[in-house]
This record gives sequence, C-alpha cells and structure tokens, in this order.
Amino acid sequence: MPQEAVRMSEATRRNVIIAGATGAAVVAGAAGSASAATRRRNPRRAQEPVVALVEDPTSDELTLMLGEREVVVRDRDLVLRLLDAAGGF
Amino acid sequence: MSSHREAPEIAKDPVADGTDTYAFVSKENPDSVVLIANFIPLQQPNGGPNFYEFGDDVLYEIHVSNAGTSEADVTFQFRFRTEIRNPDTFLYNTGPISSISDETWNRPQFYSVTRKSGGKTRVLAEKVPCPPCNVGVRSTPDYAALAGQAVRALPRGMRVFAGQRADAFHVDLGSIFDLGALRPFNEAHLISMPAMDGRNAVQSYNVHSIALEVPIRELTRDGSTPSDPLDPKATIGVWATASRQKSRVYDRKSGTFEGMGPWKQVSRLGNPLVNEVIVPMSRKDKWNSRNPKGDKVFDKYVYRPELAGLLPVLYPGVFPNLAAYDKDRADLHAILHTGIPEGVVPGFANYTGPVAADMLRLNVAIPPSAEENSLGLVGGDAAGFPNGRRISDDVVTIELRAVAGVTIPLVDPSFTPDGAAGAVTDGTTDTNAPLLDVFPFLGLPGGGYQTVPGTTEAS
Repeated sequence: MPQEAVRMSEATRRNVIIAGATGAAVVAGAAGSASAATRRRNPRRAQEPVVALVEDPTSDELTLMLGEREVVVRDRDLVLRLLDAAGGF
Repeated sequence: MSSHREAPEIAKDPVADGTDTYAFVSKENPDSVVLIANFIPLQQPNGGPNFYEFGDDVLYEIHVSNAGTSEADVTFQFRFRTEIRNPDTFLYNTGPISSISDETWNRPQFYSVTRKSGGKTRVLAEKVPCPPCNVGVRSTPDYAALAGQAVRALPRGMRVFAGQRADAFHVDLGSIFDLGALRPFNEAHLISMPAMDGRNAVQSYNVHSIALEVPIRELTRDGSTPSDPLDPKATIGVWATASRQKSRVYDRKSGTFEGMGPWKQVSRLGNPLVNEVIVPMSRKDKWNSRNPKGDKVFDKYVYRPELAGLLPVLYPGVFPNLAAYDKDRADLHAILHTGIPEGVVPGFANYTGPVAADMLRLNVAIPPSAEENSLGLVGGDAAGFPNGRRISDDVVTIELRAVAGVTIPLVDPSFTPDGAAGAVTDGTTDTNAPLLDVFPFLGLPGGGYQTVPGTTEAS
C-alpha cells in the first residue's frame, strides 16, 4: 500500500525525474524557489533515485516511487512546480 | 494457449507471461501437492546466444487459497538474480557445463523462495541455483543429470525446481486461431476444407518452470491432511502471478532498465484458457491485473461464453441443441468460478464457496489415479482437471467439450448435448517430450543443437 503524506513541502526538488502518464521523462533541475544549499537537513530524505508521477495534472496528487514502494503526496503547490518545470519554466 | 500470449499487454512481455499452472497430488509423494507455474512461452531451443532466463526484475508468485474466501492464504514468492562470471566474453558458456556450479557457465541464475502466510514472511531459501538452458550436446552433454542437480530441498518437507523445461501443453494454435478451425472437423466448418489430423503447435518449444512440492498439511487451513473428499477443508484454490514494479526507467550508464515502486501484477493464471478464450480482448489486460476474488465482474463472460455462440455459426447444423440453449451456463460457472458443489458428481466436490474466482481447485483428499484419463473428471477420473490440473490432462479437449455442452446436464438434466459435443477435439495428441516419473515431472527441454527447424508455407 502506498504511504501517503498530506503536503510534503520538504520533498526534495532537485534531481526529480518527472514522468507523465505517457512515460516521457525529463530531469528537472532546481524546480523550487528555495535554495537547496540552505534547505534544512531531513534525516528521512530519500538517498536513492526517485520517480515522480503526476497522473492528473489538475489534481494535488503526486506519486513518488522509489525502491519497492511509493509515497503519495498531496501538495498542489509541488505539483504545479513540477508541471511548470516539465513545461520548461 | 493455454495462456501463451493470451492478452495484448503481456504478449509484449514474455518474461512475465505465465503460460500454464498445474496443481495435483504427487504420485511420488501422495502426502504432497505439486504446484507448477510456467512462464516465457514458445522458446525456440536454439535461441542463443542469449538464452532464455527468468526476469531478475519480475516477482513470480504461486498463491494458495484455503479458507473459502478466494484470497491468497499462502503465497510462495520467487525472486531471481543473474550473475556474469566472465565479463569479457560473449559466450553463454566457455566450455562444457557438467555441473550446475561449473565456472564454464558464464551466466548463472539464482533465486530465493519466500513463504507468506498469516501476515508472516519467511525466507525458505536463498541463492538456489537454476540449471542452464539446454544449449546442445557439446555445452550441456548430460542435461538430465545437470538439471537434476537443480532440484533442492526446502524446509518443512518441501522441494523446489526452477529452470527450463519442455512445454507439456498440446494444442493446434495454427488451426484454432484461424477462425476457430478444428482440423478433424474441417469439412463441417463454415469455410470447408478436407479433414486432417491436428498439429501440436507447442511440441518443439520450451518454457521456464517453477515447480514446488509441498506437503498437504502446509497448504490446508488447519494443517491437516484431509482424507474425506467431501470435507470442505480438502479443497484448495491455486493460481500463479507475475508482477513488475510500477515504473521502469532507462539507466543510461548501464544500458538497462531499473524498476522503481511497488509491485503490480501483470500476469495471472489459474484455470487454463479462461483469459484466452472466455475474456474479451478489451478486458484481458485488466483480468491479468486483478486478484481472483474480484472475478465476479467477469461472471457474465463465463455464463454466456462467446465461444459457445460461435460453434453453431462456424459449424452450421452441427450444434443445434447448443444453439437453442438460452440459459446461463451454470455448469461452466461451477467449473471455473466456484468449484463443483457436493451432489453434482457422486463422491466428489471442489467447491470453495460462493465467491466467484478463477482458480484451479484441487481436492487434496482425492488420491492420484493409478491409470490416468487425460479427460480428467469428464472422463471419470476425479484426480484430473477440473480437480486441479495434472500435466497430462488434455484441457483443450475438456474445455472444448464443456463449452460445446457436455457438462450442461450436470446442472440442467433437461438438456441433451449435441452428438458432436462429446467428440469435439483439435485433433492433437501429446507429442511433447516425455514426462518424468519424479519431481519436477515436466519433460527435459529440447536442446539447441538438437533442434530441427520447422517449415513455413505462405499459402
């Protein structure tokens, strides 16, 4: 079963692979406005590759897949940042 | 068939494609059940230099339901890992492989076996070796001995084997999928042709098999070994699945794909031929992704099978009684989705409750037959399909005849089957490799060097 978090504002925004429903993928750079260098260290931060999936661009739901599990995040702001990054902004 | 390339999506993913599932009480050890799941269909034995192997990125499972809920109460998981011994050669083997541990086998594969039940997970074995593929007389000179080394004991009286085997299924694929033709009945077909013998399309191909011998007490709900066939605890449901991780990303550095995320089921197989010829094409991929306990949504295809409607059309005038039968096929529903309740076949039942679910249903209290009838229960042999499924059961003929109406009188005595219903066959016989008398029972795979290519005709 997926783990679910309500908002995950501390989710890493660097080196996130954005995969749409079509399977097309791009690697986003710094998608957020916060500086990665100044971000507070989260001891639970993933240390492995992560696939992010926005199945419905109109929703607030983001699925993060890593290892043999997935985390479902509800964060419309993060979804919009990823969608913007996917659009090249 | 019975589930080789049976759905659009899994046809593109042969490593995860389950082809046949078997469940029967062992003739060798009658206190044990043999569970076999075959994958990777239609392997040409000479298909090197990269010979066939299980997917390291696939989760293979065999499930057993024993509590009447059609949910998996016991699951055996198999996870594979492949090694390359010599990274500087293109060769599968750098010399004859005489022992399963020979360094000359350059691409050995190993696997783990895990048992899940009641919320507990127990690793039964790790780094169990598979045998190599049967490459040829120089590379694998004594294949029987080599593969025999891959039969391994597991805790609690179990045995396991995973590796290449000869496909034991027989069917005339070329004819059946050419507008439902059965060569022996060619003359009666809507597009008439001279009658001829069937051709076993699978006889020269290999598969990859996972075989498990498990004491009956390890599979029943109360740890007993039932002796009364009418004891509800005597029947278990069995099916096999393959799963892949939810996402797959290309790793540019290694040139391979890496899976990420939870496992998602992409292949399922209980009763033979169900997803193949009962479920419509638009629903087949969905069927593969679901668990048996949710099969009520597929009831309508079992109650009103398309094939039963096609037979009278394809063979005009041959099946008038079947054509006139307008009731739900409660016989097929019992055989495929609930099991046969007590009172239908004297002294026999394999009913697992009202939950519609596609599973092989094996009554473990029925001992192995001294003389097997390949027509199983409809041939008077209660140890065969649809009581579980033995390797030698002629499931194509059994299911063709059932769909044609021979089993309707079991639930509706007012129906008289058409004369042809009891004679329908695709005309194939078991021309596959001989079966073994001992576990894992499936025949030795054809060798690459020994393979003689077939012929093709365009018209």
